[in-house]
Amino acid sequence: MSALYQPTHMKRQMHIALLGLCLVAGQAFAQQRTITGTVTSEQGAPLSGVAVVVKGTGTRTSTNNTGAYSIAAEASQILQFRLIGTALVERAVGADDMINVQLRRVALDLDAVEVTALGETAARRSLGTAQQTVRGAEIAETQRENFVNALQGRIAGVDVTSTSGVPGASASITIRGVSSISSSNQPLIIVDGLPVDNKTVNTRVFASDRPGSTTAFNNRGLDFTNRAADLEPENIETLTVLKGPEAAALYGIDAANGAIVITTKRGKAGGGVEYSNNVRLESPRGRPELQQIYGPTSSAGGLVTRFEYFGAPYAAGTTFYDNVDGFFRTAATTRHNLVFSGADPANQVNYRVSASSTQQNGVVPNSRYQRINLVGASQARVNTWLGADLTMSYSYATNDQPLKGASTSTVAGVGVGSPLLGLLLWPQTDNAEDYLTPAGTRRRLSLLAASDEIDNPYFNVQKNRNNSRNNRLIANLGLTVTPFSWGYIKTNIGSDGYTNENEVLRHPESALGFSNIGILDLATDVSRDLTAQTVFSVTPRTLTPSISISGLVGHFVYDHRSTTDALVGMKFLDPNFVSVNNTLEKQNATTDEQRRLVSLFGSATVDYRQFLYVTVQGRNDWTSTIPRGRNSFFYPSVSTSFIFSDAFPSLRRLMTGKLRIAYAEVGRDARPYAFRPSLENKPTSHGGYGYGFTGPNVELRPEFARSVEGGAELGFLNNRLGVDITLYRKVTTDQIVNDIRGSYATGFILFNLNGAKTRSRGAEITMRGTPILKNNFAWDVVANFAASGSIVLSLPHDLPETYVSDTWLYGNVRNGTQPGLSTMSLTGFFYLRNNRGQLLIDPLTGLPLRSNVVSGNFIDAGYDRQPDFNLGLTNTLRYKSFNLDFLVDIRKGGDVFNGTEHYLTTRGLSTRTLDRDQPRIVPGVLRDGNENSANPTVNTIVVIPSVQPAYYTSMSEELFIEKDINWVRLRDVQLTYTLPAQALRFLHARSASVFVRATDLFVLTNYTGLDPIVNGNTAAVGGSGAAGIDFGNFPMPRGFSTGLRVGF
Amino acid sequence: MKHLTAVCFAAVLTCATACQEFLDVNTNPNAPQSVAANLYLPPMLHWMVSSPQFDGRYVGHYTQQWYSASTAAAPTSPAPSWGKMGYDPGSDAGAQQWRDVYWSLGQNLVDMNAKATAEQRWDLLGVGLILKAWGWQVLTDLHGEIIIQQAFDPTRTTFDYDTEEFAYEEIRRLLDSAIVLLRRTDGAVDQGYLAVGDKIYDGGRTKWLRFAHGMLAMHLSHYSNKAAEYDPARVILEVDSSFRNNADDPLLAYPNTNNDDRNFLGWTRNNIRLYRQTRFIVNLMNGTQFGGVVDPRMSRMLALDSANTTYSGLNVNESGFGALTASQQPRNFFGYTGTGGVGSPGRYIFDDRAKLPVMTYAQLQFIKAEAALRMSNQAAARTAYTNGISAHIDFVNDRSRDIGTTPTQITTAEKTAFLADTNIVPATVTLSHIMSQKVIAQFGWGHNEMWLDMRRYHYTDSVGGVQVFRGFARPTTLYSDNAEQLVQRIRPRFNSEYVWNRPGLDAIGGLASNYHTKLLWITQP
Repeated sequence: MSALYQPTHMKRQMHIALLGLCLVAGQAFAQQRTITGTVTSEQGAPLSGVAVVVKGTGTRTSTNNTGAYSIAAEASQILQFRLIGTALVERAVGADDMINVQLRRVALDLDAVEVTALGETAARRSLGTAQQTVRGAEIAETQRENFVNALQGRIAGVDVTSTSGVPGASASITIRGVSSISSSNQPLIIVDGLPVDNKTVNTRVFASDRPGSTTAFNNRGLDFTNRAADLEPENIETLTVLKGPEAAALYGIDAANGAIVITTKRGKAGGGVEYSNNVRLESPRGRPELQQIYGPTSSAGGLVTRFEYFGAPYAAGTTFYDNVDGFFRTAATTRHNLVFSGADPANQVNYRVSASSTQQNGVVPNSRYQRINLVGASQARVNTWLGADLTMSYSYATNDQPLKGASTSTVAGVGVGSPLLGLLLWPQTDNAEDYLTPAGTRRRLSLLAASDEIDNPYFNVQKNRNNSRNNRLIANLGLTVTPFSWGYIKTNIGSDGYTNENEVLRHPESALGFSNIGILDLATDVSRDLTAQTVFSVTPRTLTPSISISGLVGHFVYDHRSTTDALVGMKFLDPNFVSVNNTLEKQNATTDEQRRLVSLFGSATVDYRQFLYVTVQGRNDWTSTIPRGRNSFFYPSVSTSFIFSDAFPSLRRLMTGKLRIAYAEVGRDARPYAFRPSLENKPTSHGGYGYGFTGPNVELRPEFARSVEGGAELGFLNNRLGVDITLYRKVTTDQIVNDIRGSYATGFILFNLNGAKTRSRGAEITMRGTPILKNNFAWDVVANFAASGSIVLSLPHDLPETYVSDTWLYGNVRNGTQPGLSTMSLTGFFYLRNNRGQLLIDPLTGLPLRSNVVSGNFIDAGYDRQPDFNLGLTNTLRYKSFNLDFLVDIRKGGDVFNGTEHYLTTRGLSTRTLDRDQPRIVPGVLRDGNENSANPTVNTIVVIPSVQPAYYTSMSEELFIEKDINWVRLRDVQLTYTLPAQALRFLHARSASVFVRATDLFVLTNYTGLDPIVNGNTAAVGGSGAAGIDFGNFPMPRGFSTGLRVGF
Repeated sequence: MKHLTAVCFAAVLTCATACQEFLDVNTNPNAPQSVAANLYLPPMLHWMVSSPQFDGRYVGHYTQQWYSASTAAAPTSPAPSWGKMGYDPGSDAGAQQWRDVYWSLGQNLVDMNAKATAEQRWDLLGVGLILKAWGWQVLTDLHGEIIIQQAFDPTRTTFDYDTEEFAYEEIRRLLDSAIVLLRRTDGAVDQGYLAVGDKIYDGGRTKWLRFAHGMLAMHLSHYSNKAAEYDPARVILEVDSSFRNNADDPLLAYPNTNNDDRNFLGWTRNNIRLYRQTRFIVNLMNGTQFGGVVDPRMSRMLALDSANTTYSGLNVNESGFGALTASQQPRNFFGYTGTGGVGSPGRYIFDDRAKLPVMTYAQLQFIKAEAALRMSNQAAARTAYTNGISAHIDFVNDRSRDIGTTPTQITTAEKTAFLADTNIVPATVTLSHIMSQKVIAQFGWGHNEMWLDMRRYHYTDSVGGVQVFRGFARPTTLYSDNAEQLVQRIRPRFNSEYVWNRPGLDAIGGLASNYHTKLLWITQP
């Protein structure tokens, strides 16, 4: 909710009374008149979106695309001009009806108005916590369909992991690292004051994923869009990230991982019509190298026994097909956005309606993402004490994705349904494009069972299907009542409802569908969130001349309900007719989930001479997911901001500076129905009931985090250079670990237990500066640096290890963590070593021994996917009418498991298997009982891999976990040309610009795989998920786009 | 500010009362927390029949009934180590019964028995105690020491193992109680109520009573190496109180409506499509081991080679099909070459719809024959032995009829001729006759009992100069951790015990890499 009707500055009752009078008799007073003007930058470029406020009143507008504004004011009133990143300018209304203003860019502006929790606004100087804002325009300019992907590198401490490069891929956001071992680490997303759903469909709700199923996807074989992507980036006005629990304390338990607070655009006086479009062409950026020397291991009658390439060399003159390059296509994406907006000059009523359309095609055939957004927003001041604000936002999104990397079935085997792996594994001597037999059925090449032969990629993307359709309506009604001069009440009532229909087809002839003669999964999630929030805000009250106090109290009610009706049909009658009506066997599953939350909260800020602020906040939540009696929890926070450059004015010549420190406690509840076991209707013979995997924990308690952060915001060189530094430390105690395992002798397999402890620490630095500022040329730089790390201090019941089972998706590596390890660690069947760290060698084979051989245990070998730091560099260069923007994203450190390469190696396709005839001795010592003695037996056993393929096939995944992966990635680069005045006249336009843009143009990295940004699961998986596990995932493509933006 | 305080206070009060009701939505709407006692029964009965088949994939490799012809570079189902009497260290392979006894039965059985006791449903409680006894019996025979006394305490994090001796005593106690309960007709004993959950005997209390006696007979026969405890007369007594004929066989019919209610050995589950019969089992039926008499059951139970001419089996010491040429390679158990047979009818018990038994009349007759022979009652032994073969021939016919497959029924004439042949039923039957024919009667499904039999006779024992299991030979190469010892037990379930209950394992020596070769208590004198 915008700050339209909220008096943000101290004001006297007199003024209010006067204002009231003025408004009642508005039209009658001759001295109120319309002031117009243009706001420009130091170089004369028009600035849009500049807030123009009549100081001390609620009258407010903002500049349009040409920088023009129009506002009703009277003589001697003061107009304030505000824009993020520029210094506040105040102008008194005099005799002139026109006031033109030039805003000066600054890197640190303590008077800038910032959005804080609950959609309140406050001057930056009063904030004692870390938060960072990005303008909506900057996000929209990236032309990314999912705005979440635009955040990487733009905000220090925000880490975005896109699951893959496929259209509609889910993206997960973590702020300040992974602190929860098994629950979501994603922040709360708030739009116009109320939370919105950012769910990614969990395959658990599918009827084919019921416990014990052999056809389950386990969030590995499929991906779905995270629902925040339903927001159209063009409608975002500002996006503020409240990084820690300190800043987000008022949002309560759901903001334990921070919050992303979005305000959407409203109409402005002189708005008019805006249109923009964008056409983007994408192509893949790279491909793995495959060896072309050795043929399949064995073949009979032209058919290979299986797709393994340890056989004889190909005969000279063998024809090879480039199946990989031929597979991908250049994909076009088009976007259109049309906006009508306007307001009366006094901004009593404004409106903004917009229609957007996105048609995205992927480089993988048959992949697409389409979205339509229709948004209407209107605000009206009903009378002196009542204002209303209504936004209705409809979106329709449809998404077709290919099956994902680990499209594995317990029946068919690992990766057998993956189009990328199929593409790589398919014999290069066969033209994969020819994927059907003359009879129109799957053309097969091997003697393997149809369910064991990996799908031809062409067949796979044509015949298998993962389609989802989402209809969503978000409504948000805000009412602001100002009954007293010293405070106001703001109520928001919102509903966020959607129907999400998913259809997943495993074709009867495909590897995944064959054993069941086709599997068709349908799942419809009807989800609705109702929220109501009332905040009573007290505007600053002066206690003594130097001390004032302000505050708020509020109430929040949240009711979430999601019902997923799922149906799976198997045994297709007609193999190509896709409908459950065409299947012989059907099973259904309903998943109903409800969660309610009631909260009371309050906040008070004491301000001493506007250079020292102390804010105390408290919130009590009552949640439905914790047993009664323990479900109420209170947590406080306190933060302080000290503007030392104002306290000691002599410093002001050198710098502007603010110090802040904050402490917060935040609780977190469990997922619904977590504490009592329930019975499942079993699909085994003759029905009946039995307990699910999860055992009871009637003692379940909320978990608690204590977090402290401190920082400094410093401005130098007349605030042209700004530095913002934050250090934080968060300890979560009694953390609830979901689905932790135990001995089956408990009677159960999984438990939801309290008792883990994690600690996160980190630093964030943001630097802004304008190295060059000349009349025709300017260069702005923003650098966002973040380093963070979380470790597990203990696990419940002293259990040795915990992991999220969905992440055990390829080979024997998973996101296991143990006390003392990072929350982003990997455990696996790694190599055994003696006490001197030398590899233990099997005396029988000469090959190194893996941990499973002796103990079968997953062990730690020091792998950590957590990067040392991330650095995002945004550069903006302006020359006359040209504007060049680019964002460079740099990462240092963090391990990535290249599962694809391991897979290719075990299949003899990796180029690293080319030296297979080379005899070698694996350096190490024999496990003969002397391995830990003073004189271990050094291995002298010669291995020739071509006669002992186990050298490759039993290689530990460890050799494919690539340590310390760095990258320099040009995320976005855009050149914009603003059309000159003559051209505008010719077009009858008020503003126009054209741009060319490149996305993900290049990556410099020491990673040998396709793309180190990867998630083997989806954003639905909790904990650290399978980020950094690369198995058969399609990488991000490279995109070039061009478009225009015009306003009439 | 006074107002503010008042407002806050009022709000808190209102919330405290009204909220609790609003928040009371944490009862899982997707599933109940308690159901009628008889509704717990069907999944447990399903697992009692099906769970041994899961582990049978591995146990069947130990007993050389079948062998995986997979030649994949790193086959996982099963790992080649099973064929070398080893195991798969980091996997849960061979521990499905562990899962089902502790979880699928587990707390469900505790709840069901408590409800049955409270409601005086003695018949249901009797079935519950049979299930409990069955669980401990299969687990202790598979794994040796198991967790009994501390089991089903969800607040524990480590569990102590109980001895096999304790397990055996506990099983007897449970079966004795079950027998007492199943004789009762008072209280709320109600065939209709039991039949809701019992699709094996449709609530037939008397048949469950016979089942309990049968289990007890089998249990007592396991003591054969313990001279002091072994009581063959009691074994015979229990067999006689048990099944009267094949009609008493506890068979589970698979409704075949989805993956979980299909016969595990059927083609859709795709579990044994790479498996092939071994030379050992072929030689027991093609006349090699029985004086050239071809068993009429062979053509119904085993698979022809690809050329449709002979029955050949895999050499367990060779990888894949070994030296067999393409035409000599046996078809899969569904009767098709390669991995064929999808969507087509199977054979014998290898079909999506084929019924599977927990125990059979034939099996018990062989148990009786063994006991009688050990008592030197040749006449009784010979009769029971003949009954066993005869009943199993009927069993084969019944299974073929169930699934309506092509193998013709074994005619009475064929059966009579077979039983009249002195190579099959000589005047004096030996232990070798009994145990080798018992292998045939248990082929494909009776893995637990067959493996225990083999361990009781140390796989290759000879009695009276004849090898008990005719033609059985240990694999020439054993798994590296075996230290040349034959397999005696399967390690407890990896993801239950080796990860989460290491202190418990340590106390019984379970952490040793050759723990699987440690002799069972029950097979020792």
